[in-house]
Amino acid sequence: MNDPDTTNIGHYDPQALPQTRSFSELPPLSLYIHIPWCIAKCPYCDFNSHKAPSGELPENTYIEALLHDLESEVPDIWGRQISSVFIGGGTPSLFSASAIDRLLSGVRALLTLPPGIEITLEANPGTFEQQRFADFNAAGINRLSLGIQSFNDHHLKALGRVHGSDESLRAAELARAAGFDNFNLDLMYGLPGQTVNQALEDLQQAINVDPKHLSLYQLTLEPNTLFHKYPPELPDHDALHDMQQAISEQLRQHDYRRYEISAWARNGAVSEHNRNYWQFGDYIGIGAGAHGKISRADTATITRRIKQKKPEHYLATAGRPDCVIEQHEIPLADTGLEFMMNALRLVDGFNPLIFRSHTGIDIQPWKKALDAAEAAGLLNYSAVSIRPTDRGLDFLNDLLEHFMSPV
Amino acid sequence: MQENIRNFSIIAHIDHGKSTLADRFIQVCGGLTDREMTEQVLDSMDLEQERGITIKAQAVSLDYTAADGNTYHLNFIDTPGHVDFSYEVSRSLSACEGALLVVDASQGVEAQSVANCYTAIEQDLEVIPVLNKIDLPAAEPERVIDEIEEVIGLEAMDAVRVSAKTGIGINDVLEQLVQLIPAPEGSSDNPTKALIIDSWFDPYVGVITLVRVKEGRIRKRDKIQIMSTGRSFQADTVGVFTPKRTPKEELSTGEVGFIIAGIKEIEAARVGDTITLAHQPAEEALPGFEEVQPRVFAGMYPINADDYEMFREALQKLRLNDAALAFEPETSSALGFGFRCGFLGMLHMEIVQERLEREYNLDLITTAPTVIYELEQTNGEIAYIHNPSDLPAVNTLAEIREPIIQANILMPQDYVGDVIKLCIEKRGVQKNMQYMGRQVSLSYELPLSEVVLDFFDRLKSVSKGYASFDYEFLRFQAADLVKVDILINGDKVDALASIIHKDRSQSRGRELTEKMKEIIPRQMFEVAVQAAIGGHIIARTNIKALRKNVTAKCYGGDITRKRKLLEKQKAGKRRMKQVGRVEIPQEAFLAVLQVDRG
Repeated sequence: MNDPDTTNIGHYDPQALPQTRSFSELPPLSLYIHIPWCIAKCPYCDFNSHKAPSGELPENTYIEALLHDLESEVPDIWGRQISSVFIGGGTPSLFSASAIDRLLSGVRALLTLPPGIEITLEANPGTFEQQRFADFNAAGINRLSLGIQSFNDHHLKALGRVHGSDESLRAAELARAAGFDNFNLDLMYGLPGQTVNQALEDLQQAINVDPKHLSLYQLTLEPNTLFHKYPPELPDHDALHDMQQAISEQLRQHDYRRYEISAWARNGAVSEHNRNYWQFGDYIGIGAGAHGKISRADTATITRRIKQKKPEHYLATAGRPDCVIEQHEIPLADTGLEFMMNALRLVDGFNPLIFRSHTGIDIQPWKKALDAAEAAGLLNYSAVSIRPTDRGLDFLNDLLEHFMSPV
Repeated sequence: MQENIRNFSIIAHIDHGKSTLADRFIQVCGGLTDREMTEQVLDSMDLEQERGITIKAQAVSLDYTAADGNTYHLNFIDTPGHVDFSYEVSRSLSACEGALLVVDASQGVEAQSVANCYTAIEQDLEVIPVLNKIDLPAAEPERVIDEIEEVIGLEAMDAVRVSAKTGIGINDVLEQLVQLIPAPEGSSDNPTKALIIDSWFDPYVGVITLVRVKEGRIRKRDKIQIMSTGRSFQADTVGVFTPKRTPKEELSTGEVGFIIAGIKEIEAARVGDTITLAHQPAEEALPGFEEVQPRVFAGMYPINADDYEMFREALQKLRLNDAALAFEPETSSALGFGFRCGFLGMLHMEIVQERLEREYNLDLITTAPTVIYELEQTNGEIAYIHNPSDLPAVNTLAEIREPIIQANILMPQDYVGDVIKLCIEKRGVQKNMQYMGRQVSLSYELPLSEVVLDFFDRLKSVSKGYASFDYEFLRFQAADLVKVDILINGDKVDALASIIHKDRSQSRGRELTEKMKEIIPRQMFEVAVQAAIGGHIIARTNIKALRKNVTAKCYGGDITRKRKLLEKQKAGKRRMKQVGRVEIPQEAFLAVLQVDRG
């Protein structure tokens, strides 16, 4: 019942919260670059993507804008190394290889990119040919993430994708032929009218391509999408769970290991960039609608920052203060929830020391929440490891509620 | 001048235009300036204005100069129009010598007006029929006149035709009123007797009593005495409502007005009591009123246990001006600490609930309404329960008796069949059926427990809104009743128990468990819902466990949307009550109301 003693369970202990953060070291820092255009907007997509204008894309001006934007971020991250780069969208593969080359050269001039760091580019089937892939590779891209979504023509059409199943397959072949041995395939399940068998067939096709990394997303109807307004009929709750179980089983049989809610990798080929997000690392976000999160030792703050969303506004303001449409410091009391929202997605969880070093606060104020979540069978914790149980992964939303304020 | 006083009420069905008519009277007699004249002045509570209903009786004194050149002092005592508040009607009528029966010329006579009209006739009041809304194209004055004559037996050939909205006929009504309604009797020289028609608590001046002086007079600074208690108070202020509170030197025989006498608690000046003067008391009190009995009961629980004390204070404050509201503390193992509240009827319950939520900002869970049962125990003792979960084991009981009401229903002929079907479904016994013009009058004896469920809504729906309904309590009557418990994951949830006729218990048990399955969302574990009579399970169903609750896609950079989603989920759970480990939405506690539909 709601007696006052228990309502606070799960939330932080205000007495144990320090006055300020203090960073003895800073978390790893990645760079996210957003390219906002797509050939068409998909009805399920709630990312900041925009239908490409007819005619040429403003590649040159956009890359100039990105570099101005990055330049404005540099003072906040002075002297720090970059641990990964991700060029996402939108459909970045709509950009020419020479444009990507100019972009990466510009980035290297402003930041220290250590040799061999992961540099990923998102590509959608049907937007490239083999030569462009090879040139991307030559420009320094060493990982691709392909937005396959499905190998079933019927379902691709229902998703409003511009490519067909043969293009899906061809995209993977092209990637490999162009020299990419490290690529990810994005697949969706729980599609309108999809059966468990159809989902497994899709998955098998993907496995046959032999990618090192697979992302499996359940289709969800997000606000502000066409699907939200005109919802298609999706498989019911039980069918979705059956699908997820069957998918997990099949992936395990093919030596993929789940390391995050939706991410599977072979031989440890995890996405460094995504793992940094999930470990509450820092990231610079440049490009239209890009989100950034930067910790600073001198001010003892963690700041979130969002850039202008519409491409035309972004182009007009990049590098200027008014390009930032939202900026706020993460309140101390919100630290637990924000950290857990990311870190508890990881199958192996995290070491409490990471909490300390990546947030600048000890985890102690959230001990009650950890206890309550453990008592509910959603989480295991010790001095060296905090990880969600299998049930905790399935019920992550309920697990996270323990870290929310009681109101 | 006593012979120029006219005390009257208006009897009208909801929406038949009583308040608008009253407003016109105030306007014609200059009681308020135009600027002060907001719509429907008399319904001063927000809720009354919003719902267009009158809850509390009020009084207005107006001066009207008639065609004969005399100025008449009119006291209009407003009355509520809903069956739940019929006791207030009879109180108001006892202050009057006459009543206007206002009938909507397009709708015809409704059961509630008939009942109130009979009360007026029983109290020897002069009843003047008035046809309102005469301006409407659908108005059928001739038909409605026939109906008044046939259904009520009241001469209506000369009924004044008015439109309170446009102002047509207002003066004619006022003329009839002064000509037909007799002046009050009694003498200012007799020892003082004033009937308390209403009393309410005002935070600035204390208790205000509304009285009708039947004999004698009450002056400012008189020492008044409440006859039932013998307690005396000094009348600081006496006066009338115009409708503004207007002090006067005295209230004389025949007048209706207020007294403020520094009374601190409303119990000291109860409605129906007689006020006399301390130095020359009357010998016997006026006949009072029957005390109002709450008939419908429901548990009310604050969703947030911290609000309990605030809730208690709110109920106490409401009770200051609503003597019919009863409440006592109640503890539910499912819902925690709350109150068992007694109401006059369903509308009264809704109004109280709305006022608590709106004026006191409380979030409440209300259990399904039930009635009071009379239990005769095997040792011969009689007990009353108003909470189904209090029903003791059947073997300790000789008999369970349920309240029976007499329902009078008026409806156009076309709907008689469906209404009869409904009454039979509700275990009704027909007592009378009469065809009167196009209307049919049905009278049924019905168990009140069936009426509080959804009778009113169902009646409206089977008659497309044309049937009207009035009832009065008749008696307690033995019936074969059983308690049906609902168990959630093996735990009896006291707030979900209901008392049901044995013949219906099996099917009701099944319907209830199915309804629970619909209402209770899937949880992280399987939930078993069972219906049981004593130790015997009569129905069971399972709510399958949720298998996951996780957002598949998470774009690492942007966590704001995800957070909003989580916050929404959490807020949704706050609207539920946790019983054991199970989150139960509020609707579940009212499910017993809905199972019958269809």
